[in-house]
Amino acid sequence: MKSMIHVRDLHKTFRVYRNHKGYLGALRNLFDRKYDLTHAVDGISFDIHPGELVGYIGPNGAGKSTTIKILTGLLVPSAGEVIANGHIPWKERKRYVRDIGAVFGQRTTLWWDLPLTDSLDLLRHIYQIPEDLYQSNFGLFREILALDHFINTPVRALSLGQRMRADLCAAFLHNPSLVFLDEPTIGLDVIAKQRIREFIQYINQERHTTILLTTHDISDIARLCERVMIIDHGRILFNGKLADLLETFGGRRLLNVEFAEEYPSPTLDGADIIYRNGVNIHYSFQRRSVSASALIRRLSENYRIKDLSVEDQPIEDTIREIYENRLLYYDTDDE
Amino acid sequence: MIHALRLLARMYRVQIRSQLQYPLSFIMDLLSSALILGFFFVAFALTLTRFESIGGWTLGEVAFIWGITEFSFGTMDMVFSGFDYDSFGPIIRKGQFDQLLLRPANITLQVLGSRFVIRRLGRMAEGLLIFLFGLSRIQLDWSLLKILYVPLLSISQILFFGSLFIIGATTTFWTMERLEILNIFTYGGAEVMSYPMHIFPRPIRMIFTYLVPSIFLSYFPAVYLLGKPDPLNAPAFISFLAPVIAMLMLWLALRFWRFGIRNYQSSGS
Repeated sequence: MKSMIHVRDLHKTFRVYRNHKGYLGALRNLFDRKYDLTHAVDGISFDIHPGELVGYIGPNGAGKSTTIKILTGLLVPSAGEVIANGHIPWKERKRYVRDIGAVFGQRTTLWWDLPLTDSLDLLRHIYQIPEDLYQSNFGLFREILALDHFINTPVRALSLGQRMRADLCAAFLHNPSLVFLDEPTIGLDVIAKQRIREFIQYINQERHTTILLTTHDISDIARLCERVMIIDHGRILFNGKLADLLETFGGRRLLNVEFAEEYPSPTLDGADIIYRNGVNIHYSFQRRSVSASALIRRLSENYRIKDLSVEDQPIEDTIREIYENRLLYYDTDDE
Repeated sequence: MIHALRLLARMYRVQIRSQLQYPLSFIMDLLSSALILGFFFVAFALTLTRFESIGGWTLGEVAFIWGITEFSFGTMDMVFSGFDYDSFGPIIRKGQFDQLLLRPANITLQVLGSRFVIRRLGRMAEGLLIFLFGLSRIQLDWSLLKILYVPLLSISQILFFGSLFIIGATTTFWTMERLEILNIFTYGGAEVMSYPMHIFPRPIRMIFTYLVPSIFLSYFPAVYLLGKPDPLNAPAFISFLAPVIAMLMLWLALRFWRFGIRNYQSSGS
């Protein structure tokens, strides 16, 4: 199958200028410009196929935004190859952007002072969307995204959640084949997040729109994406199914115990105490090395137990451990 | 091209509608800006009545070029204000420029359409009044060429000032901040163009001849239109260079602008 996004050995190096301090320093800056090189994207390659919804995650400053900026044509890479939807993004800007959509959670594409309807109408003309397509898409989206009660409000007066829904509507009006969503749920409450996730899922399933989703919220990924790519220090560290990632690095489970009386140190072979408050103690253990039933047997042989439960470690915690402990780091890496 | 112009018209239309939403405040805005700017001329006129003329030009003759310049600057400020720092600076600083790059439309057109300030009609009206006042005080020896050259001169001035705004906006790609020094050439340029330029000391005249060629857009054309003697002794054809200089400036400004956009895309923000 042909790739929707084809990336090979992509590099982007920034010059970060060292500034001299003070007034004289400002003068020196004009003539004496020293800089450091930052490898924001350091040789990444991947393919995304038509109709896929792929999550793209990584800690702050990992190179996510730089990648998205290159893929959307906003930034010219230092080296490497990108073909997205049949175009080289930064070379054929107008033809390329006609058939893509992009939502940057921190910014809006809408006109700040205009009512939402006027903004969307301007976009209709910019994208030259046929009237009947516009009407049917707009009708559908305003229902799923519940836009009705702020459709005549100027964009500056919208809440963050409302604005995000409006921006999502704007990004999909022209039936793009490829859409980039950069932090579309940032700062939103649970209900707004849910509505946005349902919309993304609907579009991906019904229209087979290819979507690349960047987010800090791992639950977005867990709900929406089968495949996930993890980037750190400008390199792709993982590219595969989220389930496989969790299988390899997660697999930790929590055993939460309420004892009948307080024990000074209720240790348990094969499990670590990660939380302790009086008679309530939480153990963490590796699913592959020890079974829950064995642990419970050991516990009940030594202590009196009132109640207990077993649960999987939250995905967020697993991902955080991967970032913090650099579990995915290549051996060859010398940094 | 037709699609682009229709899009621009549409962008203007929605903004006009939103700016006219509060008609009373709009009218007050219009009147106050016309009055405040008009007072500058009144103050100047009152002073000039004491001296009869300035550099051999009567009040009516100065009003003639003052009015044209004022009208042109007001029109430019209405149409080109998307390139004004107040509007374009935040577009760059807040990263909104990325949003323009993501839309399938010409960037220049989108910036042009991003702000249309209809209350500049106040300044245009003020300029027109001063121009008409000037006309009423002078005996102008009209010819068909002169009648055609006045509107052409105004259009040239609009494009000339617009070019300076575009150049100012382009510097924002690097500086992120307003470069106050550029105001010398835009606002200062408009100021010197309101007077017969031979009255200024040589260094100032040099700046507005060679660095920013304002002198070709008011003084020399006025020498021809008003039939004044030229103490600078320039050849006669120089009076007709205004459209040429304006187009040249616009061409340079747009090249610089494109260069700025390319730089923005390769350096990131």
